[in-house]
Amino acid sequence: MLEIIIAVVVLLVLLVGGYFTGLLTLAFTNPAIGFGTAAGLIVVLIVLSKVPLSYNFQNLLVRWRTTLLTGLAFTLVLSLLTVMLAFVKGMYVLTQSSGQPRNVLVLAEGSTDEGFSNLAFANIGDIEAQEAVAKDGLQPLLSRETYIIVNQPVDASVPGRPERRFLQMRGVDDSRLTGRVHGLPLYPGGSWLSDAGARELPPKGDSKEPINAYEVVIGEGIARELGKDRPEAMSQPQLKRLDVGDTFNVNGRVWMIVGVLKSEGSTFDSEVWAKRSIVGPMFGSESYSTLVLQASKDFRRDQRAAYKEERLAKIAEAIAKTEDIKKRAAQAKAAGKEFTEDAGPIPTWTEPKSNDHWDAEMVKAYFNTDYKKSSVNAIVETDYFESLNQLNLQFLYAIVFVTIILSVGGVFGVMNTMFAAISQRIKDIGVLRLLGYRRRSILICFLLESVLIAMIGGLVGVGLGSLSDGWTASSIVGSGQGGGGKFVVLRLTVDAQVLAVGCLLSLMLGFVGGLIPSLNAMRLSALEALR
Amino acid sequence: MKFLRLIYQNLWRNKLRSFLTAAGTMVLVFVVTLVWSILGFLANATTEKPANIKAIVTERWRIPSMMPYAYAASLKDGAATEPEHIKPSDHMSWTFYGGSLDPKKRTFENIVFAFCLEPKKLLTMMDGLEDLPPDSADRKTLEAGVAKLEQNRQGILLGRDRMERLKKKIGDRFIIHSFNYKEINLEVEVVGTLPARRYDQSAAMNIDYFLGAIDAYKQQHNGKAHEMAGKTMNLMWLRVPDTPSFTQVAAQIQESPQFSLPAVKVQTSSSGISTFLEAYRDLLWGMRWLLAPAILVTLAVVIANAISISVRERQTEFAVLKVLGFRPGQILVLVLGEALLIGIASGVVSAGGTWLLVNQVAGGIPFPIAFFPKFLIPADAWWWGLAVGGGTAFLGSFIPAWTACRVKVSEVFARVG
Repeated sequence: MLEIIIAVVVLLVLLVGGYFTGLLTLAFTNPAIGFGTAAGLIVVLIVLSKVPLSYNFQNLLVRWRTTLLTGLAFTLVLSLLTVMLAFVKGMYVLTQSSGQPRNVLVLAEGSTDEGFSNLAFANIGDIEAQEAVAKDGLQPLLSRETYIIVNQPVDASVPGRPERRFLQMRGVDDSRLTGRVHGLPLYPGGSWLSDAGARELPPKGDSKEPINAYEVVIGEGIARELGKDRPEAMSQPQLKRLDVGDTFNVNGRVWMIVGVLKSEGSTFDSEVWAKRSIVGPMFGSESYSTLVLQASKDFRRDQRAAYKEERLAKIAEAIAKTEDIKKRAAQAKAAGKEFTEDAGPIPTWTEPKSNDHWDAEMVKAYFNTDYKKSSVNAIVETDYFESLNQLNLQFLYAIVFVTIILSVGGVFGVMNTMFAAISQRIKDIGVLRLLGYRRRSILICFLLESVLIAMIGGLVGVGLGSLSDGWTASSIVGSGQGGGGKFVVLRLTVDAQVLAVGCLLSLMLGFVGGLIPSLNAMRLSALEALR
Repeated sequence: MKFLRLIYQNLWRNKLRSFLTAAGTMVLVFVVTLVWSILGFLANATTEKPANIKAIVTERWRIPSMMPYAYAASLKDGAATEPEHIKPSDHMSWTFYGGSLDPKKRTFENIVFAFCLEPKKLLTMMDGLEDLPPDSADRKTLEAGVAKLEQNRQGILLGRDRMERLKKKIGDRFIIHSFNYKEINLEVEVVGTLPARRYDQSAAMNIDYFLGAIDAYKQQHNGKAHEMAGKTMNLMWLRVPDTPSFTQVAAQIQESPQFSLPAVKVQTSSSGISTFLEAYRDLLWGMRWLLAPAILVTLAVVIANAISISVRERQTEFAVLKVLGFRPGQILVLVLGEALLIGIASGVVSAGGTWLLVNQVAGGIPFPIAFFPKFLIPADAWWWGLAVGGGTAFLGSFIPAWTACRVKVSEVFARVG
């Protein structure tokens, strides 16, 4: 008997689990599907159940301890899942909201990340002069940048703080222009970097010498992080972040904040901007790592259709080549011959959805194929940040794995409860059968009970997990291609997608966990039950 | 003994419930074991060691650290210039060489990240390889690979996953187009593999080959050195016997005028790893203080549920036991024993199974954090299974067991009557 039950459990869990996994994926892309399926299934069960709903509720109340404990298990599992999904969602939001659809990043040839890009000085002026770059009057809308990661020793006077941290500095030539190209304004009261990028501060303590300070504009996230280093932050939690006029130390020098960027929700939130002419030589990065340019409006608009055709033709060609190689590999294998030819990955391309994105795409294509004065790697800025989602995927896979395992645990828990409920109510089942209720009604009655416990516990869990919405967490985003990655401060995000997945998962666990016991209850004959 | 048999029989009486409770316990212990293995490894890697310390010398301010290779000659001696200065007992320099097989398109399938180093240092200084048992197959494979790297300057040892991704095999030759040393494209020959797990995605090459290519560049460009020629060493590892030696060697190096442009810093390897893990601080906090405790509480709740259902169903049985002379304490122990037996047995089976499955079959937990691609389950997991299974079973069953031992015979029989 036990073996049969185990086999049936495994089979059903696989079948129903596979079906629900598909639904969960759909729910993550379209929350309405998640909410709709959850609500729809409960409504269908209620409608199909001929046994009065009050019978179910009374039974849940009579066995309140079991109901409570089972529901509590669901609450814990679902609250945990919600927090984990909120973390991943926060990372997606961060990478998706970083970057302007009209912007193009120009990196050194072969580089896919700023950390490994070195652009030759000689090429910059020519790139800037290209028609592809948008202009404001005579001013090209192009930001010259040097991205540097700096090792910052942290003042050890605040307990619990790390000894060192990696600080992301962006050396810029014209911070106002950089802010404009990236679409990042300053908070009121701040100013952009001066031409000198440094200033004298009044003497401190016994010293009569003025302090030479370098000016910086910083993201809100890193301002909060640096603010925690201050010993007084321990006793004055209202000191939330460093602000204009505050200073901090790096490389044995004093850096003064002159502006705070309204950068929340982007990777720039964790950056410190300073004059490139100061930080470049100071940290041994003499060249530019990145040029960020705004694409010229309607650049090569008439060539979009031809470009699209060309891209699709390349994809079709790569697919045909791969198929051919597969065929020849199979033939070689059958003939027992060695076959090493490799088609390589099939290129992908997504058609730009907006006019701005199309402009950026055409400018990217121009710099990658038609611009011959130097070899560069141009990337649409939004695509670049999208590519940083690779690490998110890794976290998402880990979360899916943990969720599946926890869900299996939850399913066993609810099965235990429902099997116990049925064994305690065998006589009830007999009476219901004698009263004329069909086997199908008995099945739905117990299934509904299981789903109700899971949904109530799960919804409480999702509600508790939702409290994490807005929490900040430090993390790292990266392309996973040896690209280094960026240290970011993200905001946990609980949105409709996360809630939909939570609701649907609760339902799924209740359904899967209750199915076998309910089928068991359905199989009982009236006489057998009343014996 | 009789008591134990009674406990066993009670569990066997309701096989289905025992199975479901054990299965629930096993899956939850499985997750806890995975989480604790990752956290335990990272905690160990970031804990300062009192002896046999590895120090890392890096550029003081910039990440990634890039120092001139000329630093190596003095750094390997700990910048010792005076008789009273301490010299490290061993050393290893690292130069990171990254590139792809396709110069135009870099993908995860065609990139190579290699440590350029003195081949023999793989055997004495490389984390995770230095302590391979002398008779192990991995050690012998590594020794053979090191010998080939020393004989063949163009040789490369590839991690197993990387070799698979690149679709290469031992004996294959190919060109790596570098992205961090532009135009230093090296033709290499696969001469062996690196031991499994930690370096599955990495590669190792002879530093002489790389430095030779940097010199050749100068000759080919009318004496103009490569733009990265002064930045050809990323890290220097030094081995020192204890903390006072580390402090002194660190002072020797940091106070030496030889290392001023760029300035360098000396850290213990655990301190260096801690800095890298700082980016994952909140993620690890969540694993430690949210995920693991929530699973433990869930586990306790699942067991509590199963045991309390059982206790409620067996009120009459407990009353009969009392009539037969069982004391409340004995009933308490009986119920607790049932929970503990099921918790401990399933906990040990699960944790032990995880240890076998992850280490022997899966080759580690593939959860890349910082520069750790995979994590192994420590042998301690057997104890974790016992402790987690037993601990949560005890916590979850104590109240139901207490209820069971407080059963009033008269009330139960009155209900039955």
